[in-house]
Amino acid sequence: MKYRKWGAALLAAGVVAGLGACASGGGDSSGETKELSILIGTSGDAETQAVQAAADAWAADNNAKVEVVVASDLTQQLSQGFAGGDAPDLFYMSWDQFATYASNGYLEPYAADLPNAGDFYPALSDTFTYDGTFTCAPKDFSTLGLIINTDMWAAAGLTDADIPTDWDSLEAAATKLTTADTVGLSFGLEYARLGVFMNQAGGRLVDGDTVTADSAENLAGLQYVQKLHDEGVLKWPAEVDAGWGGEALGAGKAAMVIEGPWIKGIQGDFPDTNYASYELPAGPGGKSTFTFTNCWGIPANSDTADSAKSLVEYLTADEQQLAFGDAFGVLPSTESAAATYAEQHPENASFVAGNDYAVSPVNFAGSAAVISDFNAQLASLVGGDPKAILASLQEELQAALDEANGN
Amino acid sequence: MSKGIRGAEGRYGWLFVSPAILIIGVFLVLPIVLALYVSLSNWNGLGSPLGNSDFIGGGNYAKVLVDTGLAQRDFGTAIRNNLYYVIAVVPLQTALALFLAVQVNRRMLKGRGFFRTAFYFPSVTSSIAITTIFIFLFTSSGAVNQVIGWFGVNGPNWFNDPRGILAPLTGAVPGDGPLGLDWAAWLSGPSVAMCVLIILAVFTTSGTFMLLFLAALQNVSGEIEEAASVDGAGPFRQFFSVTLPMIKPTLFTVLTLGLIGTWQVFDQIYLTGGGDPGKTTLTPAYLAYETSFANLKWGQGAAISFILFAIIVALTLLQRWVLRDRDLGASGVRRQKRALERLKRDAAAGAQR
Amino acid sequence: MTTTEAAAAVATEQARAPRPRRRTRTAGARITLLVTYAILILLAFIYIYPFLISVASSFKTDADATQNPLNLLPETWSFAAYERLFTTVPLLQWTANSAFITVVVTLCRVFFDSLAGYALSRLKFRGQSVVFASLIGVMAVPGVVLLIPRFLILKQFGLYDSYAGMIVPLIIDAAGIFIMKQFFESIPVSVEEAARIDGAGIFRTYRSIVLPMAVPALITLFILSFQGSWNEFSHFIVSRQSPSLNTLTTGVASLTSGQLGSGNQYPLQLAAAVLMSIPVAIIFFIFQKRIMSTSEGGEKG
Repeated sequence: MKYRKWGAALLAAGVVAGLGACASGGGDSSGETKELSILIGTSGDAETQAVQAAADAWAADNNAKVEVVVASDLTQQLSQGFAGGDAPDLFYMSWDQFATYASNGYLEPYAADLPNAGDFYPALSDTFTYDGTFTCAPKDFSTLGLIINTDMWAAAGLTDADIPTDWDSLEAAATKLTTADTVGLSFGLEYARLGVFMNQAGGRLVDGDTVTADSAENLAGLQYVQKLHDEGVLKWPAEVDAGWGGEALGAGKAAMVIEGPWIKGIQGDFPDTNYASYELPAGPGGKSTFTFTNCWGIPANSDTADSAKSLVEYLTADEQQLAFGDAFGVLPSTESAAATYAEQHPENASFVAGNDYAVSPVNFAGSAAVISDFNAQLASLVGGDPKAILASLQEELQAALDEANGN
Repeated sequence: MSKGIRGAEGRYGWLFVSPAILIIGVFLVLPIVLALYVSLSNWNGLGSPLGNSDFIGGGNYAKVLVDTGLAQRDFGTAIRNNLYYVIAVVPLQTALALFLAVQVNRRMLKGRGFFRTAFYFPSVTSSIAITTIFIFLFTSSGAVNQVIGWFGVNGPNWFNDPRGILAPLTGAVPGDGPLGLDWAAWLSGPSVAMCVLIILAVFTTSGTFMLLFLAALQNVSGEIEEAASVDGAGPFRQFFSVTLPMIKPTLFTVLTLGLIGTWQVFDQIYLTGGGDPGKTTLTPAYLAYETSFANLKWGQGAAISFILFAIIVALTLLQRWVLRDRDLGASGVRRQKRALERLKRDAAAGAQR
Repeated sequence: MTTTEAAAAVATEQARAPRPRRRTRTAGARITLLVTYAILILLAFIYIYPFLISVASSFKTDADATQNPLNLLPETWSFAAYERLFTTVPLLQWTANSAFITVVVTLCRVFFDSLAGYALSRLKFRGQSVVFASLIGVMAVPGVVLLIPRFLILKQFGLYDSYAGMIVPLIIDAAGIFIMKQFFESIPVSVEEAARIDGAGIFRTYRSIVLPMAVPALITLFILSFQGSWNEFSHFIVSRQSPSLNTLTTGVASLTSGQLGSGNQYPLQLAAAVLMSIPVAIIFFIFQKRIMSTSEGGEKG
């Protein structure tokens, strides 16, 4: 019975031992097989499987094992990974977080050394250039287009001649398509959509070292959106109980939405919805759309950087990018592959065409917090004062830009 | 002999509490010390804070509290949101819990077990499950809007409506308030979306507090109430002049627990989009998390945590101080005095019988 | 509530009327009781109905759930949500993690908390009052304030993203120690003293005399710990990142905050919410009598 006496002591000791025995985490296995992990934020099963398949193909030739991890919250998991000292060997780095990560020294600047470094669209390379160094390789890109439910379009008596080419025809089409059950146009109430209208009006947020958010052009863009909403021909997805524009389109709650090539994802949930994609109509300041892109991020000073770089090279090769395009609708980030893609996928040709005049949303270290505040303020756009919203954006963005340049 | 036992007791005493001391020390005290350092440093989230950062003093606190800018305004917004949340939730949950407790405590009531179960059940389910259910209930064409539609009311798009419910009254108030928000923003009231979270909190906590009140009511012996009602006090007066003063300690407990709990809303905010719509459901707890984990400003996030800690401690102390002597206000004291006298009289009468 | 007040006021007025006391009181009470019933039934309905339609909606199709949220019967029964939860969504893995963590945390808490509570209430040792005072201080630290600090310390010790990191910080709970201390102080000391005079050692006395007496308090602690660790969320957000370490709370949260594409998939989310509530519901119903016992008073309901 004496051992009982020590039961508690043993337990206490066990706790101490447990604390001491640090979970050594990642395998520093000196064996030949390299183990890599990729952290991705996926658009769905198709994307996850395609990335895994590509990684497996590379792994088979390189005596490696690659685990594709799907993040439930990419930003949070990345920052926890870095702070926890076990960042993934390769990860999706989104355009809006890129500058923040690069400025904090999180990223290995490897892209300039890639053999295919010169093949990417210059606009995309620029997005992932920090402090003059092309840091990480663009994974793919997407532009925004106007997606139209073709059945509703025909039912409303509209023809190809009515496809919106400018703001007036967009308004006219949206008005015609709006019925009791369906709203003519829908897109998310956020900078990543509304910014397009600001640009189409001729506005810009940043001009060199100066922020120009409170310009008359930006105001005109917001006022146009405000007007469409006031007329009832535009509703945000949340107003029609949809999580995003694609769902609104798929469920028949909206006849037109502004989304990117990822719209393909709705075919699984809404196989009966027929739609077609077009370039966005031009505004008073001409044509404009946003291009969004992710890069393949490699953590700074990573032991596996060389393997990861080789994997990136494989993943960004034209052939592989075209396979991704087939699988989940992203556009290849190299000009040659994108051209091939447009031929193979005429339904997405408009998205590729958009890249000729697309701009990247504003992106410098610290801008993400300001943009998310702008998004929050946009929530009061309906019935609110767009001028005040832009004034506040102007002030904060300028402060953030000064800080970014000061560093 | 007795000295031996004392010695053994000493050893065992320490042995028995050592796991607790160890765990609490390592996972509570130590973290707080480390985070305190981080809040005073410029650590950027790479590697360990020890050795990878410089001490910068109170800069992170200044960014949140003093320096004009986005960080300060976000903090001000979060404080405003949470303040309205506290002001609404604490009285509502306390009143509802007390009301339910008094009702289901009635001897005459049949099916008390059923009612208690029904009211308590939401309290045992996880915040994640309940919030998921509430998001479903409060969509624009959801269950709640269908019900209020029967009365001809067109329900708002709850979780996506950033309008402050007092904004129509206070929208024109001029001037700039503290923490980078103008007075109109401070006085705008909780947003429609925040109101849903308020309802959610009342819904999930009233059951727990009902149990606390029930236990207290049970301790108020039935005889006292009998005595009071024989004296002719109606149930209403009896409640306020006899029952309430007697369960006062529990009332304080519930208020304190409510106050501490309501300053810690996190799970619900995480699930409903991290402050959406328009940052009107952003809370300091979530802001601290987001500042650190998403914006990589670890020092600033830790600083917000400590400010929140200070707020909770300060408000709890303030509440204790306010409620300490005044009890239920002057009229409450008078009422209580009268009730006591009556009780004495009745008790004497009872003894005579 | 205004109706009750009105009813109560009416009842009070009637009680004042110069009639035989007993009868008026009963009549007044009867009206009050009826009103009470009406209000309580309505409230109970409001409290229960959300759960009922959640269960119902989890068997609906997406469209049916959105369009007819109030219906208790699906238009067509669809098990798609459940099918998906058990195939593409790793619900079973989440459940296994939740179960494992909950069991370990609950057992540890019951053991360590009662041990410490006993020492603080019964054993005399130097520094006892300091330990107790610090414990009370610790109870005042709000949990959410600890998110960032805990993350920092876990990663400092290399426990981040491991079961140990998810479990160990939770195995002691100051409030539990406090409950146990209060309880031990409420039971008479004589039995133990007799045992000790018989020569039983302290740990043996604790194990074979004290613990059996403490069963009611241990059960309370068990219920609280089970519920607390099963429903824990924020700690698991900052103590892990691997999907394989997802618990039901973090997993279902990822469904709700829209990680399966950002579409609303209410049946799926509700099915997950329903399933994750079952274990706590079972514990709740098993121990219902005990949970409510404080309120049961003398007579049985």
